[in-house]
Amino acid sequence: MAPSSSSSSEGVDDWVPPSRRPELADVVPVPQDDGPHPVVPIAYRSDFREVMDYFRALYFAGERSVRALHLTAEVIGLNPGNYTVWHFRRLVLEALDADLQEEMNFVDQIAESNPKNYQIWHHKRWLAEKLGPDVANKEHEFTRKILAIDAKNYHAWSHRQWVLQVLGGWETELQYCNQLLEEDVFNNSAWNQRYLVITRSPLHGGLVAMRDSEVDYTVGAILANPQNESSWRYLKGLYKGENNLLVADERISDVCLKVLKNDWTCVFALSLLLDLLRIGLQPSDDLRGTIEAMKNADPETADADLATAICSILQKCDPLRVNYWSWFMTTVSPQI
Amino acid sequence: MGEPEQLEFARERHVLFLEAMASELPGDYASQEVNHLTLAYFAVAGLSLLRELDRVNKDQIAKWILSFQVHPETGNELDNGQFYGFCGSRTTQFPSTNVKDPCHNGSHLASTYSALAILKIVGYDVANFDSKALLSSMKELQQPDGSFMPIHIGAETDLRFVYCAAAICSMLKDWTGMDKEKAKQYILSCQSYDGGFGLVPGSESHGGGTFCAVAALRLMGFIQVDLASNLREPASIDVYLLMEWCLQRQAEDGGFQGRRNKLSDTCYAFWIGGVLKIIGAYHFIDHGALRGFLLSCQSPYGGFTKLLDDQYPDIYHSYYGLAALSLLEEDGIEPLCVELGIISAAL
Repeated sequence: MAPSSSSSSEGVDDWVPPSRRPELADVVPVPQDDGPHPVVPIAYRSDFREVMDYFRALYFAGERSVRALHLTAEVIGLNPGNYTVWHFRRLVLEALDADLQEEMNFVDQIAESNPKNYQIWHHKRWLAEKLGPDVANKEHEFTRKILAIDAKNYHAWSHRQWVLQVLGGWETELQYCNQLLEEDVFNNSAWNQRYLVITRSPLHGGLVAMRDSEVDYTVGAILANPQNESSWRYLKGLYKGENNLLVADERISDVCLKVLKNDWTCVFALSLLLDLLRIGLQPSDDLRGTIEAMKNADPETADADLATAICSILQKCDPLRVNYWSWFMTTVSPQI
Repeated sequence: MGEPEQLEFARERHVLFLEAMASELPGDYASQEVNHLTLAYFAVAGLSLLRELDRVNKDQIAKWILSFQVHPETGNELDNGQFYGFCGSRTTQFPSTNVKDPCHNGSHLASTYSALAILKIVGYDVANFDSKALLSSMKELQQPDGSFMPIHIGAETDLRFVYCAAAICSMLKDWTGMDKEKAKQYILSCQSYDGGFGLVPGSESHGGGTFCAVAALRLMGFIQVDLASNLREPASIDVYLLMEWCLQRQAEDGGFQGRRNKLSDTCYAFWIGGVLKIIGAYHFIDHGALRGFLLSCQSPYGGFTKLLDDQYPDIYHSYYGLAALSLLEEDGIEPLCVELGIISAAL
């Protein structure tokens, strides 16, 4: 059990049970009423039980004191998921007109050791809402810190997105995505964040304005790591809902071709090509030639049309999804 | 870890594991005890999948579950903003008479889902209890954007609770508890550029979020039973892209990853496998490879681990491992109503 930051200098070894603390001497602990015979009863440790008994007492009494604040910190240390305790703590903070910046520091400490706990992040959001746009940068610093340890922490990303959209701080976000992708181009969370920036940032002009440079960026990422599904999906995502534009942008079919010339088994290139054909791409001579060469390597596809040939190749290169590619071949391909 | 062909479904070990969990959860589950009812759901639902419900006392369970229901006090207006559902544990349940906090009602949407699911599984007729207060107060939890807050005292809002609300309405056969159209709009806004669903609009496509989205849509009647119909209808959601996203989540080791470029994790075999089942595309996955992965995640102590190389099982992944094997129609496992998370026989 981690000592709470707002109790005094007590360390773990010096833990004094609430029943022996002078400041709680007047409190009558309220035991848990387990009610009728429970299923999956939990083997509570005695310190957990006792702290909860004292929390219940203060809660029932509607106390709004400093000792109540300290006790909630202790319960939170034992069970950060207890949303009732967090709610009670918020009531006490408001009643005491507590320093919310200090509270944010406190919860940040707990968050570092419990980075995947919903209640903690919700409490941060509650505080940030009250503290306003001035804390945007500090919140971004904090999520950066968490993401430096685990670059895919879903809670950290949600919080970061919320802070951006409600409190601001977009200025350096694209650069931050660049940095994360340099560190790990396979980080799908960073690609997703990129999409958020280009579609929602008030400073970047929106998807249509950003599309051109983003296509170039993504094509570069694909060529550097053709086996990274993230970049392929992002590329397609840039043209979401705009099939005509996707087909018309030569860079899209070009990158498929470039990759396939190097590695004709690249599943992502093949399936994107199939998508393009499905939405009306007229294959260039170069493209036809490349697929012909692949077909020649596979006697079964010799007489097949382009789309069918690609399906057949995918059945072999992507065996986990062979059932899907077979269905595609018989159902979707004939319509192309 | 043996060759897939040598791996067997260790049914007996799992029965004993779940029975042990049902009689006592080890102390390290104390930090999750606000979700006590959900932990109970994993144990009871797991035993029901293995056809071993007789190992627990169904009547006692029903009584225990019902003791978590929060009832409006006489004289309380039903639109006082409180939710009259089920609490998830004794530590969030406070008898109203001695609490000064006006917001002492800790009932929660997720606990309510778990409570109703368990009641259904143990054969309790949910028409027997008064759900009027539950449903009308649940509507108060729905936000202007269509999402749901799980408790009236304030919490995060995301797709998980839209799913809970839909499942609750479905089990009670009463949709007055939510505005389906608004919920649908919120779900649509969570579909990402790559076809999967994030837990909130703008967030990364995620297996759990995707299940909540699609299962809720199915429960509300917005998704058809077969793939051809789903692909043919003018898509409110992009079913084709969704299907692609789901299929791409099956990794080389046969398991499913929850997000692109992450490790395969047992539970996503249910979350994402479940989505494919719902839209009619389950036959496109590699069943043999998935089965091999799941059986390799079986623990020698019974139950399933989260990851292939993990040592110890936990009750959550144990339940979802069994649920995933149910989708694969493994011998000895009951069929499941995917969108409700309840064995079909209980419905």
